[in-house]
Amino acid sequence: MLLLNDVHTTGISLLAPELILVATSLLVLAMDLIWKERNSSRLGWISIAGLGLAAFVLLLAFQKEPDHAFGIVRVDRFGNFFKLFTCAALAVVMFFVMQDRRERKHRIGEYYFLLLGAGVGIFFMVGTNNLLLLVLGLELLSLASYALAGFHKGEKRSAEAAMKYIVFGGLSAGVMVYGISLLYGLTGTLDLAVMASATGEDLPRSLATAITQSPGAVAVAMVLILGGFSYKISVAPFHFWAPDVYEGAPTPVTTFLAVASKAAGFGALLRFIAVLFMNPDAAEAVQDYGLQMGSLIALLAAVTMTIGNLAALRQESVKRMLAYSSVAHAGYILVGVTAMNTEGFEAAMFYLVAYYLMNLGAFGFLLYFAGETGEETYESLNGMGRKSPVIGVSMVVFLVSLTGLPPMVGFLGKWKLIQAIQGVNDGQYLWLAMCLVLNSVVSLYYYVRVAKHLFLKEPGERSLKPAPALTGLLVVLAVLNLFFMLYANPIVEWTNASFDLVSSAE
Amino acid sequence: METFNLDLPSSILAWITFIPMIGMAAIMFVPKTNMTLVKGITYVATFIPFVLASVVYWGYDKGHSGYQYAQEASWISINNFNVFWRVGVDGLSLPLVWLTTILLFLAVPASETVPRVSKAYFALLLMLEVGILGVFISLDYFLFYVFWEVMLLPMYFLIGIWGGPKREYAAIKFFLYTLAGSVLMLVALVALYLNQPDGMETFSIPAMMAIGGAQGWAAGPELLGMQFTTWVFWFLFIGFAIKIPCFPFHTWLPDAHVQAPTPISVILAGILLKLGGYGLIRGCFPIVPDAFRDNAYILGVLGVISIVYGAYVALGQTDFKRMVAYSSVSHMGFVLLGMAALTEWGMNGAALQMFNHGTSSAACFLVVGVIYDRAHHRDLNAFGGVAQPMPRYWALATIAFFASLGLPGMAGFVSEAMTLVGSFQSPDPRFRILVLIAALGVVLTGAYILWALQRVFLGPLNEKYKDYEDITGREIFSLAPLLFLCVFLGIFPYYLLDWMDVGVIDLMKLLSPGS
Repeated sequence: MLLLNDVHTTGISLLAPELILVATSLLVLAMDLIWKERNSSRLGWISIAGLGLAAFVLLLAFQKEPDHAFGIVRVDRFGNFFKLFTCAALAVVMFFVMQDRRERKHRIGEYYFLLLGAGVGIFFMVGTNNLLLLVLGLELLSLASYALAGFHKGEKRSAEAAMKYIVFGGLSAGVMVYGISLLYGLTGTLDLAVMASATGEDLPRSLATAITQSPGAVAVAMVLILGGFSYKISVAPFHFWAPDVYEGAPTPVTTFLAVASKAAGFGALLRFIAVLFMNPDAAEAVQDYGLQMGSLIALLAAVTMTIGNLAALRQESVKRMLAYSSVAHAGYILVGVTAMNTEGFEAAMFYLVAYYLMNLGAFGFLLYFAGETGEETYESLNGMGRKSPVIGVSMVVFLVSLTGLPPMVGFLGKWKLIQAIQGVNDGQYLWLAMCLVLNSVVSLYYYVRVAKHLFLKEPGERSLKPAPALTGLLVVLAVLNLFFMLYANPIVEWTNASFDLVSSAE
Repeated sequence: METFNLDLPSSILAWITFIPMIGMAAIMFVPKTNMTLVKGITYVATFIPFVLASVVYWGYDKGHSGYQYAQEASWISINNFNVFWRVGVDGLSLPLVWLTTILLFLAVPASETVPRVSKAYFALLLMLEVGILGVFISLDYFLFYVFWEVMLLPMYFLIGIWGGPKREYAAIKFFLYTLAGSVLMLVALVALYLNQPDGMETFSIPAMMAIGGAQGWAAGPELLGMQFTTWVFWFLFIGFAIKIPCFPFHTWLPDAHVQAPTPISVILAGILLKLGGYGLIRGCFPIVPDAFRDNAYILGVLGVISIVYGAYVALGQTDFKRMVAYSSVSHMGFVLLGMAALTEWGMNGAALQMFNHGTSSAACFLVVGVIYDRAHHRDLNAFGGVAQPMPRYWALATIAFFASLGLPGMAGFVSEAMTLVGSFQSPDPRFRILVLIAALGVVLTGAYILWALQRVFLGPLNEKYKDYEDITGREIFSLAPLLFLCVFLGIFPYYLLDWMDVGVIDLMKLLSPGS
């Protein structure tokens, strides 16, 4: 490992956001032992403050040039984007933990520790070109997620979710690591940048050399690695765990899995593909290979969104519907990856931001009503929109956004994906664009079904307790959904500036 | 085009569009028990746009072609993605803007009898108006699309909450059909945007028309073996045809119309269907004129099928409202036929037919609403002799249905006759056969309308109906302006045609080969 010698003197300072998260998580763990409170919201606020501090440091570092810490941690704007995204998502998830009425009967101190630990995993996962660190980050994230999914120890559903998650996770991590080991064997390096740019026949070799020498082995490695990523972002055929785990896990954890964990998977996947295949100086063999990967991913995207949408149609539980919908959205985001160009990747990142805004809202809505009624079925929502119009109308905003209709930001996200994919190679992927828009029509049916039960059905007897803090958050998210459609420039500029993998590749 | 500023003269179209939105925002802050204030706000928020639209109508300079009251300002500006607030009206869109404002205003008194009406209803009504007006004034295709979709959600709730027994089914059917059409438009729109020279991409509708007419589109991607312009044309056409609705995309319409409450049926038939026809002449034909000319005959055939089939099915209906709904399919077929003929008369007739159908079908739905509010059913065979207790109602209903029938002297006659004459003049001789078949549809129209009138108003009085109160002042208030327009435009059609002709001449230039 030649690169380990390249120790950077300022390495520690570059790791400041990660260290802040680690420190916060340890502090939370210690304070939980000292305070011994069952429902401590103090711990939550400490965690959110820690995330805020980390985000602040990340924002300060945003304009800096890309840098290395200890040779294997890469600090660049792309990683910065996903780290900020994670901070924002985790903060909302923690807020959900504090607001969830159903969590009141559980000890929630460890929640924050585990979530912060998962956050540290994500930070390393999206902030490295080194496959070893990527796997370590991914495993840290996964381990924390397993524990989170099974957080309601006494509940059968939750335990089942954790068990399924572990089995699937273990398998796919093994598959991925095997793929990486193949790649390591072929190229003699774990560093993606070296893989992309090495010259000569000696180890470390470039991927181009590996492709010419043993194309079959590279293909196997790529498929296996893609499989590992597919698991994390719940892409077919590695999506089977998603509905059961999403349904069984506590709602805040589901939110975390659907938003933060999925975005982290996409962050690592985008980096993997961009650094290896999209470098303009890369050998022709590599670029061709990248285009073939694009065709494979196009197929995955089409299958994923179709399966997700068709399965979501038939659900009776809103939570399970949202689980399948998040599978479908993974398919949409993959459309941007298929494009294999800067525009497509920026579109995918933009869509992630939109996905954050609309999906957090939808899960927050579910959290509120599931806490009130104790159920997650469509029927339990009957007429609730009339009883709680503010939350109901906010949910309609999220649903419109999820469907991808104007004037909500989800529309712009879909638009950018379609524009990116239709522009590829003179309409080669026009069929994928068609697939995407027709899937949106399918998705309308089950999204609107929520609105139907909220507003079109007659309300039952049940009265609702107000939740002002949660309502406030949902209103803010709903307004942002509208605002960023009407004034999208800040997000677009942010995502475009954040995609610095190709231009600055060494 | 002028730059963006908010003073009234230069941004009058923006004010027309967004005053309902201001009203909607105001309604949100009114307590839900204070329905008087809610209705008051709705009246004001729909009346001001009507006044402003009338000002624009009279202020429109018929001596000049092109878009007037135009305004342009950058909205979304990103390196490869530029969207503008780009609005303006011409002789084709202006009458429809005016029609929208008056119908929405008249829909407010008609909403009095909607059961369980609440402030959300009026807020959604105003939101709907924003979407409709936005589509008619947009000259930027992205903006057009955004407004197009903004309409769907309020319509879904208006049908779904305040509709009839099968409202949920009808509402989602309407939503899914329209969205299915508009996503095809979306793909076509992205394709049109990407198929422009690098760095020159624009969503400007006039600019796209210029590309389509003068230099022609570059040979872009093919789909299923179809040329670029051909599939773009069909995608756009299907998107708009669903809205018109033309056979075979019409099946959402009877459900939506029958289940919607009266004022919403009025808006659906009066304006939303016009969006389809308007979309074709603004956003489809002139943008890919070559593909349109190649396929014009198919469109004409679809139009004629709609005319005859719609009339024939209307003849078989026993539900009064469903009959009127199918008559819309039939009447909108004339619009498609007139456009497909590619003659100035045909195009003028189609534009006029859109406006006239907007007034006459809206009036018909109001008429049906009046009797439904009393009888609480719409079974044509269960009525009889209603003319005796309700003579004034009978008179007004007869005017409305005769206007719909196309009686000479009424507005519908002028536009249908122009459409048929224009189609007969078509350079394509096959259109003459179409005209002959369409004339058969006119006979069927006469049959189902007269038969319906006979079953409802004439014959022996059914004892159940003898105590019915005659049409009230409020109902007349909604109905009378529309009937006035039906008669007035039958006698003086040039109060519209003079405006429309300016737009039609521009349009024909764009559509003619080698322009």
